[in-house]
Amino acid sequence: MDQIKRKRDRLEVIYDILKIIRHHNNSIKPTPLLRYSNLSSQSFSEYLNELLEKGLLKEINDEKGKKFLTLTDKGFKYLEKYKLILGFIDEFEL
Amino acid sequence: MPPFNLIDPTRLVVELSYTLIIVFLCFTIYYKTKEIYDLTNHEGINYFRLTFIFFGLAYISRFIFVLIKLMGVTFDLDFPRNIFGNFPLVLIGYFSTMAILSLTYSILWKKLQIKHIFLIFNVIALLISGIAFFSRSSFILTLAQAVLLIFTSIIIVYYIISKSGKISRLYMLYILFFLFWIVNLIALGPRRFIPFEIQTVFQIISVVVIGIIYRRVAKWTR
Repeated sequence: MDQIKRKRDRLEVIYDILKIIRHHNNSIKPTPLLRYSNLSSQSFSEYLNELLEKGLLKEINDEKGKKFLTLTDKGFKYLEKYKLILGFIDEFEL
Repeated sequence: MPPFNLIDPTRLVVELSYTLIIVFLCFTIYYKTKEIYDLTNHEGINYFRLTFIFFGLAYISRFIFVLIKLMGVTFDLDFPRNIFGNFPLVLIGYFSTMAILSLTYSILWKKLQIKHIFLIFNVIALLISGIAFFSRSSFILTLAQAVLLIFTSIIIVYYIISKSGKISRLYMLYILFFLFWIVNLIALGPRRFIPFEIQTVFQIISVVVIGIIYRRVAKWTR
């Protein structure tokens, strides 16, 4: 129960968002992403802006002009390195 | 007698090798952690990296100071003290203070979350390098850094004890690393404080300490 209620930290939230996108064949609309990510719309929008700004995500439009989110190479790298990043933070108690 | 016979080649070789190894390890730690910092923008990682870039620069400045001193003795040169004597001392004071404060903040940042902290660090570092400049004494600089070190260590120990109740091996490494830095500063003073042989033993141990830190970094930054 405690684990379910535990507040996710910033790095974990980012990891979850990126993982959801990868799980959806690296292309998802913002609204379902918000739903799956389990965040308030304000937090979601802050995270989304941060991820776009940092180049972990990018927005693409289809022929009908609908907006989709996809991972960049940097986003894939984050997913790949996530365990090492956590290990490093834990090792040096940062 | 040619002037370079007066220089102590053993001391020069030991100092140069020691500086090269420490600087190489510090800069490699900085470089190896670049990717995980770029991916995360994690504040703790940022200050951890800064610690090693500043320590690397502090060790380079220290070597310049030692070199100028050795050259002055060997070639009987009368360097203008303000430029050649004080300048490396000011740099040592600035870089090492920044390193000590950065490492402290990398541990405490979650608890403290202070705005403009980097600016505050710069002010403290400039103050300590100012003390070094006006006193023209490595001894005064050592005292100022020792006070800073005791102060930051108390804060860290208080934080650790309130968090987990015991001091981990990592903090012991940090404390040792800081202590050896102070020994290095003391060694900048007159030789009578620490004989060369003892100083070399301390230098070897401090290379081992930073080598252990480097190994721990390398494990997670493949």
